[in-house]
Amino acid sequence: MSNHRVAICGIGQTERYRTKLTCSLAGLVREAALNALADAGCDWSDIDALIIGKAPDMFEGVVMPEAYLAEALGGVNKPVIRVHTAGSVGGSTAIVAANHIKSGLFKRVLTVAFEKQSESNAHWALSPSMPFRPHFNSGAGGMFAPVIREYMRRSGAPEDAGCYVAVKDRVHALNNPHAHLHLPDIDLDTVKNSPMLWEPTRFLESCPSSDGACAMVLAAESHADTSAHKPAWVHAMAMRSEPSFYPWREEVNPEASRACAKDLYAQAGITKPREELDLAEVYVPFSWFEPIWLESLGFAESGQGWRLTLEGATSRDQGGDIPWNCSGGVLSSNPIGASGMIRFAEAALQVRGMANKRQVDGAKRALGHAYGGHSQFFAMWIVGAEKP
Amino acid sequence: MTEPRENLLEADFELGFTYTRSPGVIIGKFLAALQQQQIYGIRANDGTVLFPPTEYDPRTAESLHDFVPLTDLGRLLYWTWIDQPRDHHQISQPFAFAMIQLDGADVPFLHRMFADSAEHLSVGMAVKVQWAEQRRGAITDIHGFVTAEGEQS
Repeated sequence: MSNHRVAICGIGQTERYRTKLTCSLAGLVREAALNALADAGCDWSDIDALIIGKAPDMFEGVVMPEAYLAEALGGVNKPVIRVHTAGSVGGSTAIVAANHIKSGLFKRVLTVAFEKQSESNAHWALSPSMPFRPHFNSGAGGMFAPVIREYMRRSGAPEDAGCYVAVKDRVHALNNPHAHLHLPDIDLDTVKNSPMLWEPTRFLESCPSSDGACAMVLAAESHADTSAHKPAWVHAMAMRSEPSFYPWREEVNPEASRACAKDLYAQAGITKPREELDLAEVYVPFSWFEPIWLESLGFAESGQGWRLTLEGATSRDQGGDIPWNCSGGVLSSNPIGASGMIRFAEAALQVRGMANKRQVDGAKRALGHAYGGHSQFFAMWIVGAEKP
Repeated sequence: MTEPRENLLEADFELGFTYTRSPGVIIGKFLAALQQQQIYGIRANDGTVLFPPTEYDPRTAESLHDFVPLTDLGRLLYWTWIDQPRDHHQISQPFAFAMIQLDGADVPFLHRMFADSAEHLSVGMAVKVQWAEQRRGAITDIHGFVTAEGEQS
């Protein structure tokens, strides 16, 4: 495969990731796409191909929505491709789109990911009752609760470490006008006193159900100068998968997660991610996944991730050295299919210096991360202010 | 040779969920108007009138906003006659699946055409909407079309 540089020169998001009853699915997706085109200084005719991602069709009950979205996204007479990797799909969609530039096939692609959770119920869609097996009705929260318990047992983390993440990301979200949740009065007590949903995960340690879309215009180096703002550059990208269930599977620190990060860092020449990256946007839908991923992604030694959280290392507001999820993260907005792309896009916004009130000063290199399924699909990229 | 079916398990599996649909301001206005027996097309960028309306121009992808009021009259362009409707046609009398172009619209659309027999249909004949008795803001508020030959079109 050729190895053309990939620039991120347009980023668009839904104005705010909350219930949008006044717009159709197409209208929701289009808002982000138009914002990305405006940022890129492009219009529909400048786009060579359209790469769409969303979570399972059952989440909204629209089968193959990419087919009906072609005209809303200017996809008529162009290649339209759908990517599908469960909750990580926003990240893998961005990577598929970037590979179409990297290969030299296209000069400019529009990539869009979305979810309209107000039209359905992801908990139901993840946990339908099936013949020949018991009905767990666990949803994502129930699926991950035992994994979190096992992490707590291994690491000896204090019982309230997750509550710190829940507060930190919601405080971050106050700086992000796109965030679904704006909870100005949140504190540890509020989180601790919120209802226990899937022990040990409380209501306020869980992500909300959001509507929204995120879009990016990716371009070859020869076409990267149309925006009024400088582009971000893709320095590395990787995807890995593994089966949902097998007896020797390491569910707390999945093999696919470690392999994906190893590949990613090797491409970017990174050996100490905490020191060599300025920030990270990581898929944390339930609070405890911050310490879990801090360790899996090599920001902390095994069993020590929770210490970074408690010390404020991942908090922008506390001046931490490696802020995680300055946008408020998935804990503050979760339009599922879009959430991975939002992580990737927020990382790019930061290195472009365009993150406004949530900006990490002087950010040069950032990680965007997504995972999905039963912690079995991983997508990651590293973006930088300078060309790789 | 048929496969032996004994010892092979199977079970009924019904999957269902009550989703919500938000048609948005454009399609939403079109559907709400049907409930009031009002018919709107929408003007595309090149000036042509589309019925039913689309949110975005199928050629240029621009947002469309310019509603064009239409009447309940149109022309029959072509059809397939269903002489012996089956259960899934949800209608017991013979009818035609027909492409009908409403007066003032530039494109035809698919709906049902009612007539006593296929011999009563002809290319270009005048037709008019037969409204459903119970209307709820859906394309089926137009029950179908019947002849308007002899009426002013």
